[in-house]
Amino acid sequence: MAASSKSAVVLKAVKKIAVQFCPFESNVRSTREFLLFVGSEKARSTNMNCEVITTVKHDKSEPVVDVTFVDGERLLMKGAKLTTREMLSAFQSRCTAKDPQAKAGVKK
Amino acid sequence: MLLTSSSPLYFFLMSLRSMFVLSPLDFLHKLRVQLCRPAAAEAGWLPVTQSVRHGSKAVTRHRKPIHILKQKLLAVTKYVPPTPVVPKGAYPFERQEVKEESGFVLLLKRELKKLFQDYKMVAVAQNCNSNAEDMRILKHRLHRHGIAVKFFPNQVMCSFLSDSVYSNMAPLFIGPTVLFVSKEPKVKEMLTSLRSSPQMTLLGACIDNTLLSAQGVVSYSKLPSVSVVQGELVSGLTMMTAHTASMLLRHPAHLSALLQQYVKQQSSEEAPKAEEAT
Repeated sequence: MAASSKSAVVLKAVKKIAVQFCPFESNVRSTREFLLFVGSEKARSTNMNCEVITTVKHDKSEPVVDVTFVDGERLLMKGAKLTTREMLSAFQSRCTAKDPQAKAGVKK
Repeated sequence: MLLTSSSPLYFFLMSLRSMFVLSPLDFLHKLRVQLCRPAAAEAGWLPVTQSVRHGSKAVTRHRKPIHILKQKLLAVTKYVPPTPVVPKGAYPFERQEVKEESGFVLLLKRELKKLFQDYKMVAVAQNCNSNAEDMRILKHRLHRHGIAVKFFPNQVMCSFLSDSVYSNMAPLFIGPTVLFVSKEPKVKEMLTSLRSSPQMTLLGACIDNTLLSAQGVVSYSKLPSVSVVQGELVSGLTMMTAHTASMLLRHPAHLSALLQQYVKQQSSEEAPKAEEAT
């Protein structure tokens, strides 16, 4: 919770986020919490064009988060053994890496 | 005449005394204690006012400056807790804490029990972010079809489910969850209303005491109604007898012609078989 409140999720450089998980498994907690953070009002308001697609499966598959960025890069996170903080930090670091570049380029 | 504190003679004697003897009142004056003698005020009686040490407080809003020596002393004598040999969280707690459940929790559990008994369909969904407005619209849409929206705390839900028959539903309840309950299993209407609100994710449902996943719910909605299925079953079973009945109703000449044809076929089949055998 502290991680999310300190730095809000900025989705400006993100095109699509696809989250798939099987709710009856026990390793889904981090993926579900990641989905909550990403699908929250604050995050959504930074980029209205970003789609957040949730797929609920029942085939004992691993929970996977597939992020497609605007410049075509894809980030695949397998949330079975990851914590929410790790997933968020990885995602945010990549977002901020891509975002200020665009901002700085525009300013210059 | 009695020598009272208000008599003028008393004052004269006191003043004399103060000239020669250090009055104990002097040190009090240093602390700025003032004693108002009632006789000093000519009109009426004045209350005794005492103001002691005004101007410096012990409890302040800012950090009160401490003398450097006192600071050093406090730093040196600060309490340092002993480091645990095993880090916290490495081993689980041996004794399980048994907490008595509060009255509110018991009430909720009773409600849940009634819920599972009365309502045939109990669906669980997760809502990422929905405003009061979206919730209101969704509730209205579902209410039209007789589906109620219920909220229960996850802890209470999990503890109730672990005791009851529906223990396999427990892993569904993580994060903000909503329960959709209805007496009739109206799955199609629920799915259509949920499709209109993108932030609700259907996780699973318990319909007629059977646990279904999200895909199971979708396939359940595609099932035809019970009467249709019954009709299909009955027609399939009575197909043979209906066929026989319809054949018997036809003209006997037609039937005899069919039987003759059948006998001819049988004999023609037997003849080549006999030839093959020999």
